[in-house]
Amino acid sequence: MMRRFFSQAFLYHKGRTAAFHPLEFLCFDAGYPLVTLVFYCLLASYTFHTTDLTHWVVGNAFLMCTNTCVFQLGGIFSSERYFGRLRSIVAAPCGKLPLVLASGVFPTLFASLSVLGGFVVGGVVFGVDFSNLHLGLAVVTILCAMTAATGFGLFLAAMGLLTDSMHLVLNVVSYLLMIFTGAEFSVVQLPLAGQMVAQLLPLTRSIQAMNLLFDCQYSALVPLLAGELLIAVVYALLAWAIFRTAETMCRKHGTFDLF
Amino acid sequence: MIRSVLLSTMVLQMKQSFARPMFRFSLIANPILNTILLYEMFRHSQQDNFVSYVVLGAGLMAIWSCICFSSAGDIQRERYSGTLALIYAAPAGFPAIITGKILGNTLLSLSSLLISLATAVAVYHTPVVVIRPGYFFLAPVALVGSFMVISTVLAALLTLSRRTSLYMNCIEIPFILLCGFAFPIQVLPAWLHPISLALSPTWAVDLLRMAVNGVEDASLFFQKLLILMLLSVGYALFSGWLYRYMDRQVRMTANLEVC
Repeated sequence: MMRRFFSQAFLYHKGRTAAFHPLEFLCFDAGYPLVTLVFYCLLASYTFHTTDLTHWVVGNAFLMCTNTCVFQLGGIFSSERYFGRLRSIVAAPCGKLPLVLASGVFPTLFASLSVLGGFVVGGVVFGVDFSNLHLGLAVVTILCAMTAATGFGLFLAAMGLLTDSMHLVLNVVSYLLMIFTGAEFSVVQLPLAGQMVAQLLPLTRSIQAMNLLFDCQYSALVPLLAGELLIAVVYALLAWAIFRTAETMCRKHGTFDLF
Repeated sequence: MIRSVLLSTMVLQMKQSFARPMFRFSLIANPILNTILLYEMFRHSQQDNFVSYVVLGAGLMAIWSCICFSSAGDIQRERYSGTLALIYAAPAGFPAIITGKILGNTLLSLSSLLISLATAVAVYHTPVVVIRPGYFFLAPVALVGSFMVISTVLAALLTLSRRTSLYMNCIEIPFILLCGFAFPIQVLPAWLHPISLALSPTWAVDLLRMAVNGVEDASLFFQKLLILMLLSVGYALFSGWLYRYMDRQVRMTANLEVC
């Protein structure tokens, strides 16, 4: 069972990266998110009149998972439909929850690595002081954040079964993450409704937790990370529920394209 | 003949662009979300003229996004649809058709400035004051011209590549960063200033910002306008040379549809 799960996870990963090209990796997977991080950190230094950009390096490093968890993962079921594999998945006599979760295993790992890369580059470029940071807890925070972001990505992927405008949806979501997670400005600035939306999104708690780690405050860490993991579970279950609903409709109406 | 080709291509391009969800994101959702993001970031900046950075910054970022994901990507779309060879060999002339497409995209994308302004007024009740309307109407003309010439250069460069979608994703943020859409280029490290000043949108943005904030030194305004015009002529000559080079390459290797 577990072997099949990881073999499926590896196959998903292989399918996504089989056409790997170093230039594409350097430009799109590494260069673009790093330039975005630099842009928003410079913007913050101008608007907030500060040279201590730790908060924005933290926020934007976490947002570096957007490429993997939102744009790549969010499009997986649309890709399955595009490549004609969706009807095989629907017809396969296997549990769909492991199938949905398997597609998120490698994106979680790679997103974690990209966030670490963001911390290193952002730290070097903007002189972030890592000396007081508890590295073990920082790694745990990043893993929790990426698990939540992956759960959210799977939810978006399942939404892809219901709409043909995924480019629009994914791009809007990437901006919503910038606005509501506290990566670019404090969540307290948002109106009450905005603050409630922020609590429903992944990364909000992790960014807060990482900022607390930089301030050597560990007391509120556990509830924040537990909340982040809960978000991951809720979104993964929502993704599964949407997939099951779409599957039932598809079997009932014979609409394999599932729009 | 050329005029009717330009007009009909422009109208058709506007219709085609608006039909794509990604363009609708760039045109409508992007300025709204960017206005909110920039406003919240600038809110405590204690700058008198921060609204000009918010409204113009968000609008310009959206215009550039429209250009990146449409003008620069249209060649690839034509290639994918199998119509690239047809428009390339059409008696109307490939440069005229491409110019019509770029004109259509650029004019349509200008509406994102209005959307950004409307968002700022509706959400944040920002007062709208244009001190010198004469300059304010001259600056957008310069802006359209500068965006058009840089788009023709990009379109020509991307005609010879198969990785159009990769490059159009990768040029978006670096241009926003270098051209000072969201903050003055003085924030950038000094070694980047020559690159910024060599890009025509940098000067157009500067003129637009001067026009909004009130032109105190008219000679400085016209001096910058002259530099922008010279740069635009340089870009136009370069794109003309690129098209001739591309034409030679395409005729020698006969690989327009697969290069």
